[in-house]
Amino acid sequence: MKHSERKFGDTLLKVDNITLRFGGVKAITDVSFEIREKQIFAIIGPNGAGKTSMLNVINGFYHPQEGTITYKGNPRHQMKPHEAAETGIARTFQNVALFRGMSTLDNVMTGRLLKMSGPSMRYYHNKLANMPVINYLTYPAMWFGDFLLDSLYWGPYQKEEVAHRKAAEEVIDFLEIQSIRRTPVGRLPYGLQKRVELGRALAMEPDLLLLDEPMAGMNLEEKEDMCRFVIDVNDEFGTTIALIEHDMGVVMDISDHVVVLNYGRKISEGTPAVVQADQDVIDAYLGVAHEEDLNEN
Amino acid sequence: MTADTFPKLLDRNARERGPRPAIREKYLGIWQTFSWSETRAEVETIAHGLAASGVQRGDRIAIVGDNRPNLYWSMVAAQALGAIPVPVYQDSGASELAYVLQHAEVSFAVSEDQEQIDKLLEVQETTPGLKTFVYCDPRGMREYEQDFIHSLDEIKQAGKKHKAANAGFYDAEVARGRGSDIATFLYTSGTTGNPKGVVLTYDNLISMSEMSVELEHIRDDEETLAYLPMAWVGDCLFSIGQCYVAGFCANCPESQETFLTDLKEIGPTYFFAPPRIFENILTSVNVRMQDSGRTKQRLFRYFMGHAKKVGVKILQKEKVGLGDRFKYWLGEFFVYGPLKNTLGMSRVRRVYTAGEAIGPDIFDFYRSIGLNMKQLYGQTEASVFVTLQPDNEVYADTVGKACPGVELRVDPDSREVLYRSEGVFKEYYKNEEETRKTKTEDGWVHTGDAGFIDHNGHLKIIDRAKDVGVLNNGSMFAPKYLENKLKFFPFIQEAVTFGAGRDHSAAMISIDMDAVGNWAERNNVSYASYRELAAKPEVYEEIRRNIEQVNADLAEDSELSGAQIARFALLHKELDADDGELTRTRKVRRKFINERYDAVIDALYGSQSKVHCEVETTFEDGRKGVSAADIAIMDAKLAGGAPLAKAG
Repeated sequence: MKHSERKFGDTLLKVDNITLRFGGVKAITDVSFEIREKQIFAIIGPNGAGKTSMLNVINGFYHPQEGTITYKGNPRHQMKPHEAAETGIARTFQNVALFRGMSTLDNVMTGRLLKMSGPSMRYYHNKLANMPVINYLTYPAMWFGDFLLDSLYWGPYQKEEVAHRKAAEEVIDFLEIQSIRRTPVGRLPYGLQKRVELGRALAMEPDLLLLDEPMAGMNLEEKEDMCRFVIDVNDEFGTTIALIEHDMGVVMDISDHVVVLNYGRKISEGTPAVVQADQDVIDAYLGVAHEEDLNEN
Repeated sequence: MTADTFPKLLDRNARERGPRPAIREKYLGIWQTFSWSETRAEVETIAHGLAASGVQRGDRIAIVGDNRPNLYWSMVAAQALGAIPVPVYQDSGASELAYVLQHAEVSFAVSEDQEQIDKLLEVQETTPGLKTFVYCDPRGMREYEQDFIHSLDEIKQAGKKHKAANAGFYDAEVARGRGSDIATFLYTSGTTGNPKGVVLTYDNLISMSEMSVELEHIRDDEETLAYLPMAWVGDCLFSIGQCYVAGFCANCPESQETFLTDLKEIGPTYFFAPPRIFENILTSVNVRMQDSGRTKQRLFRYFMGHAKKVGVKILQKEKVGLGDRFKYWLGEFFVYGPLKNTLGMSRVRRVYTAGEAIGPDIFDFYRSIGLNMKQLYGQTEASVFVTLQPDNEVYADTVGKACPGVELRVDPDSREVLYRSEGVFKEYYKNEEETRKTKTEDGWVHTGDAGFIDHNGHLKIIDRAKDVGVLNNGSMFAPKYLENKLKFFPFIQEAVTFGAGRDHSAAMISIDMDAVGNWAERNNVSYASYRELAAKPEVYEEIRRNIEQVNADLAEDSELSGAQIARFALLHKELDADDGELTRTRKVRRKFINERYDAVIDALYGSQSKVHCEVETTFEDGRKGVSAADIAIMDAKLAGGAPLAKAG
């Protein structure tokens, strides 16, 4: 109840007339929408509708041929993944993409990488993407010294490590995964891996969190847990969330605003109630529109 | 001023061992320690805060949540004001909670988190007296705008202000407390009817704490893990009673799931757990051993075999040959020591278990690797302690001797165990009838458990008194005692025994599908279903051997030797809670089973070797079906010339 009476902030991310082509195939055609601060925003649609492509565009992984993305008021034609990450966009993947041999804690800690401010780390995230490896050697003293002090866990480095560990532990506490803190994630059941992945994204303290099918392949109980965490993240940290999900029950329950894609086009948009009642959406899911298309052709 | 209440003991500890640790909590992955002086300051602040929120002497305050320092502090803070803390089981549902809160007339509740607050809000609809809620963990509480819900931080802030305005208030309130005052209400879970509120005074709890601290040489440098529900009398006595009396440190685990990790990190010196937990730990050890390399497995098997032979003797300081001692020492180095370290029991000086019967194998496993595990017998009504096994007098099937200051007797007719001590509860709250039924005028308490005192002077609990019957040969028949003995065999999952008013005892057994199935595979016994497996003569033969083992044990027991099992049958289906044969806590529902399997029972007391049995079963999806089979009945040999009065 409280959930539906919520107030949202300004526009956080706006996509205008995005078109994405892979060779001759149009994955996304002329899609526009805007995500407002504090919203839980859902992108739904049948298989192959272009949902994940859309997320990849927002996240900078795909570069659309047409259209602009305006994030935090800065319009740009395309974004690079590291820019997205640096400006506060975090994401999880449809197929869990964790470091399987590392513990839960270490995986969550990797989410802190961009927040680490030691000289070497600053160097990392400013330069890494654009720089040929040879350039590292132009700063060997700094790099090595920094690395050495960091690995000795000494002075300011210790303080920094402690602060990041605290942030990671707060995420672990929040997601109630204390009991698997030291367990290699490869050994965890799927539902928990998804939670760890969410944890890593949260450790980045993102402004915009992209979730690609967070409940896929989960059982009912795991889904309920995940829903609660998504809502809690939104409530507690005020994080804006954009998610792709197939489970209509989940989408209708937790999202504030829904965009429906079909064959790369936006066919409907609005609150869950509006979208649910939209004939185009019903047709897209039941396959009626598809049949008519065939007949017309 | 003698320290006759917990707040006074807290003052004493803060004075005498101020900087020593009083309580720890693992928070954000790190053990946060609070010293006795910090604890006293926190308790004082919360007490002021509660007073500022209108809590008065005699008010009841519910404590709902996992073991957290803040909740323990709130409990003692309430006691400092003369209010009565009522800890409730944190996992109980709203209706259960509602009964307790209404019955105890609770007006104020301190809870751990949002989950508990939601439950309390639900309860509040039917409990108008419940006025103010406090929560410790602010997560998810942002949108609760009700003016009667406060965070504990707000209470503490108010407490600081209140303290500034009312200097000396706390000390004066604490000084008003008397040992004869009510310390807490503890609601017993009660298998029948509504829970009963056991009223315990400071005198009850402190006298029993002092007795046990002295008896067991508990020091102020002990470390314990406070992980059992706060609403349970044991936690009240171990984590507050003994902790405040002896001045040692209680450690609150991070969450219920991390219990084993926390146990390992803390390495308690003093540990209590119900048999179920020891069983789980042992199972996980065995499972992990099976996953380990061959050398390790061999080492483990070899040295565990040796420990089984001499470990208990060494622990009991009995005579053991030099060679065996050396081998045991090697085992300690290679196996037992590392194993104890992994389990978090390297530093343990005392391990207790109670609550139900523990399997002799499990018991011996822990004792053989050098852990001084002992059983005790207690009740909420007794402030825990009734009997305890003294060092070097430990047996798997007794619960020990009466504790100092506890008088013990067994009613010769009903065989019910009665006791009297300083720990005996004041009354059941608002339930005079039950109080009169349980506690006699001169202070003896009926336990409801039947038992006897064996030749070593140890108390043996055999069953609930109301279930105990007599065989036609005059021997005592205690069904649960027999069933427990049977269930300790790995092949037997459930057992139901009969015998009251009969000529001999008989048993109906359902086999453990996993264990027997595994055995069948290894021994080339083919089967397709549970029913087929349970009907195999080879399986009958194995179970018969188990039963004859039980008979041999019983033969050594003067009281129970006549109750040996003469005939048995293996059921064609597992006893199941879905079919109403067991309760949800897996206790046998005798009356129901008697009706349902009357054909089998008749056959057990007849002479035929086979009986047709048909019962209705419920599938997991709620559909019903009929499960039918011909069940064989087998005779078992009796041991030691048991007197059997075969009539006809």
